[in-house]
Amino acid sequence: MNDQNLLRGLFLAIIAGVFGVMATRYSVGTFAHAGPGLFPLLVSCLLGVIAVFMVVRSRIVPKVPVDFSIRNIGIIMVALCGFVVVSELLNMIAGIFFLVFVSAFAGTSYSWVRNLKIFAVLLAVAFAFQKLLGLNLPLI
Amino acid sequence: METLHNLAFGFEHALTLHNLMYCAIGCVVGTVVGLLPGLGPLATISLLLPLTYSIDTTSALIMLAGIYYGAQYGDSVSAITMKIPHASSIVACIDGYSMTLKGKTGLALFTAGISSFIGGTVAIVVLAWLAPVLGEVALLFGPADYCALMLFGFVCVSFVTTGSLLNGFAMCMVGVLLGMIGTDVNSGVQRYTMDLPSLADGVSLVSIALGMFGIAEITKNLDEKEERSPFNGKINLIPTWPEFKRIIPSALRGSAVGSFMGILPGGGTVIAQFAAYAVERKVSKYRDEIGHGAIEGVAGYAAADEAAARTSFIPLMSIGIPENAVMALMMGAFIIKGIQPGPNMIASHPHIFWGLVASMWVGNVFLVVLNVPLVRYWLSLFKIPYNVLFPAILFFCCVGTYSINNNLDDVYQTAAFGLAGYVFLRLGLDAAPMMLGFILGPMLEENFRRTMLLSRGDFAVFFQHPISATLLVMIALFIVWQVFSFIRNKGATKPLIDVMPQEE
Repeated sequence: MNDQNLLRGLFLAIIAGVFGVMATRYSVGTFAHAGPGLFPLLVSCLLGVIAVFMVVRSRIVPKVPVDFSIRNIGIIMVALCGFVVVSELLNMIAGIFFLVFVSAFAGTSYSWVRNLKIFAVLLAVAFAFQKLLGLNLPLI
Repeated sequence: METLHNLAFGFEHALTLHNLMYCAIGCVVGTVVGLLPGLGPLATISLLLPLTYSIDTTSALIMLAGIYYGAQYGDSVSAITMKIPHASSIVACIDGYSMTLKGKTGLALFTAGISSFIGGTVAIVVLAWLAPVLGEVALLFGPADYCALMLFGFVCVSFVTTGSLLNGFAMCMVGVLLGMIGTDVNSGVQRYTMDLPSLADGVSLVSIALGMFGIAEITKNLDEKEERSPFNGKINLIPTWPEFKRIIPSALRGSAVGSFMGILPGGGTVIAQFAAYAVERKVSKYRDEIGHGAIEGVAGYAAADEAAARTSFIPLMSIGIPENAVMALMMGAFIIKGIQPGPNMIASHPHIFWGLVASMWVGNVFLVVLNVPLVRYWLSLFKIPYNVLFPAILFFCCVGTYSINNNLDDVYQTAAFGLAGYVFLRLGLDAAPMMLGFILGPMLEENFRRTMLLSRGDFAVFFQHPISATLLVMIALFIVWQVFSFIRNKGATKPLIDVMPQEE
């Protein structure tokens, strides 16, 4: 299963499937009087055909292993979503704190002092954005 | 004569203190952010796009254009000094980096700067003269022709950026589907919104761009875990006269090649650089030295790079169809600012069009007088370790997304696209064609539905119009050629661009 070509085809097939099935739930209409579902359905079908072709081709060409590490992307996703949750619950200062201290786990080394420095600088930048550029950041 | 008059009119707008300032800011910020590892022009523009929201239209577009060619130059700098290539500066790694190894970094940077200036100047002449002419041709285009032109653009971009027609075209289709999200303009039906109010207006352009090109790139760099050694060599910028004389002819050749390649659908800076480099290797007097750190190898590509960066505005501003992902992003920015690029833009907003053209030249001057001498200071940016840099970039992604609608939930969108972008990256799919598909998707649907309505559902209409018929035949020939070469090579899809030097 660990084959880039095969997985690529399957992944695109899933996208085509999801969009295609949902398109049929809107009115499709005829070509002369297209409904909102017609064009997405058409594009999904085209994408589906390409995806099937890719799957078939992956049987012919040599396999390419996928190099996928869940760790870093996972940390980044947690940091970003946490930033939103914390900013909504408390304020954006806490959000930035969370973002910096969690995302830093994805780096090559982890240092509290360094994180505090980054946090301080970013906080200053955020206040500058708010006061000087007029961005409406919910800092406090 | 009329062109000169119009240019003078443009300079009147570009040379106000206000616009000069934004042009300078754009160039400088673009160069600095473009220098950062892992941030190419696409990521740079999307990261800085929110900065332009509060500015008036002309200044905002001037600043964005400045960011764009600043980023282009910044890319070259990091490629020349440290061999950190983005897709847009792969050629710079060949001769530019060889010159650094020989201790001629300053000369390489100066050559790149001056050649960029020459390339940019030539391209602006082409742009000022050709865009209005092409704009008139564009008025001949009917909806069927627009459909065919967009499909042709998809095919060209897919082939040029990914080297694989299939992967690229699939990504264009994914982009088109993402562009369908939101309210259908003809029927008012909400499509694919999953009843989320934030999706009713469609997916935000900035979320897609920051997720796919910002967050996905950062994660990829983090996966590689290598700390880059900063550049510590000396930089002596002033060349000797014989060296200077060698720059000019190559830069002029590069400008011509770049200006031409920039106009073609799917063209743009990458293909222009390779074409110019190939030309230099064939015709230059010093062709034996190219590949081992020759001035010509740098001058030719740098001129072509900047020339193509400017002439690629021509299809966008005269026909209204962006030819590559960067221009698609630009088009998004134009539309956010309430300007619809296309044949009517020059007539309805002459001050914006000519002001932008003139400011491109002003930006060129800034690039030479400001960026080239200051570049040694900006290289110290690389002394900041990536561990410090990436949380900051993430923060800017968050702020950039948030400030569009002052809505924190939009950050979830950016995060989701970051995840999707990472998956695409690991599956070997390039996100650049997707960007084009996303921007052109709604236009493609609109024109397709109009064509079908006019022809009462008859597909033959695509072959009855000469323009669309020609374009479709070209697409068909392309596909046949691809299938043929696939069978002949037994499936080994080699990228078109395969000159990355492997040895250290």
